[in-house]
Amino acid sequence: MEPILEGFSLIASPFNVTLIFAGVLIGVVVGALPGLSSPMAVALLLPFTIQLEPVPAIAMMAALYCAGTFGGSITAILINAPGAPPAAATALDGYPMAARGAAGRALGIAAISSICGGVFSLLVFLLAAPLLARIATSFRPMEYFALAVFALSMLASISGKSSLRNLIAGAVGVLISTVGIHLTTGVERFTFDIPELTEGINFIPVLIGLFAMGELLNQSQKLDAVYERITAVVVRLPDREDFRRIRGTILRSSGIGTFIGILPAEGATVAAIMGYNEARRWAKNKEEFGTGCPEGIAGPEAANNAATGGAMVPTLALGIPGSGTTAIILAALIMHGFRPGPFLMKETPEFMYAIFIAMLLANIMFLAIGLVGAKVFSRVTLIPRALLWPSVFVFSLIGAYSTGASLFDVWVMLIAGLVGFIMLRHGFGPAPLVMGLILGSLVEESLSQSMILLDNQWLRFFESPIVNVFFALTVIGLTWPWLKALASKVFRRTPVAEASGE
Amino acid sequence: MSDRHEPGDDTGRRRGTGLVHGTDLAVTAVLLAFAGWAYYLTTGFEEVADLFAQDVPPEFLPRLLIWTIVALSVLLPFEHLLKPGGRAHFDEARSTPIAWMAWLTAGLLFLVVLSIQWASTYLALIAVCVLLPLLWGERRWTIIIPYALVFPTLVMLLFSKLLGVYFEPGLLGIDFR
Repeated sequence: MEPILEGFSLIASPFNVTLIFAGVLIGVVVGALPGLSSPMAVALLLPFTIQLEPVPAIAMMAALYCAGTFGGSITAILINAPGAPPAAATALDGYPMAARGAAGRALGIAAISSICGGVFSLLVFLLAAPLLARIATSFRPMEYFALAVFALSMLASISGKSSLRNLIAGAVGVLISTVGIHLTTGVERFTFDIPELTEGINFIPVLIGLFAMGELLNQSQKLDAVYERITAVVVRLPDREDFRRIRGTILRSSGIGTFIGILPAEGATVAAIMGYNEARRWAKNKEEFGTGCPEGIAGPEAANNAATGGAMVPTLALGIPGSGTTAIILAALIMHGFRPGPFLMKETPEFMYAIFIAMLLANIMFLAIGLVGAKVFSRVTLIPRALLWPSVFVFSLIGAYSTGASLFDVWVMLIAGLVGFIMLRHGFGPAPLVMGLILGSLVEESLSQSMILLDNQWLRFFESPIVNVFFALTVIGLTWPWLKALASKVFRRTPVAEASGE
Repeated sequence: MSDRHEPGDDTGRRRGTGLVHGTDLAVTAVLLAFAGWAYYLTTGFEEVADLFAQDVPPEFLPRLLIWTIVALSVLLPFEHLLKPGGRAHFDEARSTPIAWMAWLTAGLLFLVVLSIQWASTYLALIAVCVLLPLLWGERRWTIIIPYALVFPTLVMLLFSKLLGVYFEPGLLGIDFR
């Protein structure tokens, strides 16, 4: 109980609560704006939070993460343009319901389902993270290496155009992480005699470039896009009948979302798609889906918000990111001098509880904001793109520059942006590359330490049962998408909704 | 984008129907060239001192990753065979060439970054806040001018005064601290 109270005291200052509120506001706005995404906003926020104490910094980012996932549903429902990829499934039934004149009801269902999913996953986070951390304290470098390889293999099944492209992007990310001086031998690798590269490529400019600059260039091609808007919204909480209809869906989707979130690398988009598909599968009124069915809104919304809490479990307990956004939060933790993992949980449990309380607070805040301000937030899409995206560039430039006060980092950001833009065109998402980049050091360190411990005998890796479990899971993770694709090809089955995003 | 072809339509032939996806073949070629270049660079790593001979050599992981990239890349041109939407699944985003506006935007941003050292960060930000909206078709000067003056100033003040970041003062010596 004491660490929980300590965690509460870490958060309970007006400054920290204000920062969390700011994180929620930014999150809802960013989530609501098509093109802007939570990973992008968290990446842009990262340089600003470097100057803060670790608790408020991470709390603000976690709050933004929670709220950004919900914010996407506002524009998904009102203008049929999901502000964020996790809200894409919400638009399938949210927009038709809004078009029927029940936009307030659709937003109310989305808000309630989101908070239920969010709180459910936070309770699981509270129970599972310490448990997982306790198990992980017995991990040696071999187990960590196997775990990191498993996490990378999960890139095969995260959302996006293709498993293969995700894996290639992940491998390129790990390769980029090897730039700089080799830790154990001191040999310089891929440095081209550039002094700035000897310590490796700075995470932040790459993250900002991939997420923000890549999307900026993408948006420059969509200047003519016009959204059909549904106005005059008064948000209405679900009535007794709606609650009766959606309670089972919320519970099921919360469980699915939390589980998907806990899996390394899997994000809110996959959770939302699964939440929608499962809501439809279990529904008696399948034919109503796609026409404005409450379960079609509750399913993805509960699942995508549940995935946020779930994704924090492996991030904090194991140091393995649960999603693209948590990969950036992990980078922030590292920049603040923490090594996320079991020892963080063991030595500073109050830190984990502080994050838990911040996320809980964020859920309550975005519910209030959603109920009161959905109408206002739907208007953020009225901000001219020709002013919005230069502002993103300003933040990107300053953010990339300010971490090391170096113009070299700004160039890295620009190049990463151009590469990210071209990658996106060919189906390579930025999230897998970021995952690889952030997991890279863990892969290399644990591999080097393992080989020393094992006297360079590879086969001795298999002496550990935990390693064997992770390697078996890796094989399953790598082959599952292919088997699934093959099965759907053979049996001609098409999923109701497909994911593309985090 | 449809995967079906009307009689007389040679789009499918140009893109390469059948087993191999033409565009992905080009992507594979780029990835293989990158892998080849990266592998070549690993051959130039310094020799490890005898003291570290027991450690994993510095080129080991990069090479392992390069081989992984090669192995995965050669599968790319065939991946569409497993997708329910076939080649259309991958062609949706790249069905049209990159818009000239994207290239112009990228060019402008490069020029702005290039100008930071002599023009100062502040003036470069103001320039981008004027030029990018103009490039993207915004012509309302009553919005552009206040925006270009106020927004970069606020961001610079936030980072300089509050967070203590030192920015390039340029030839004019503009320093916000």
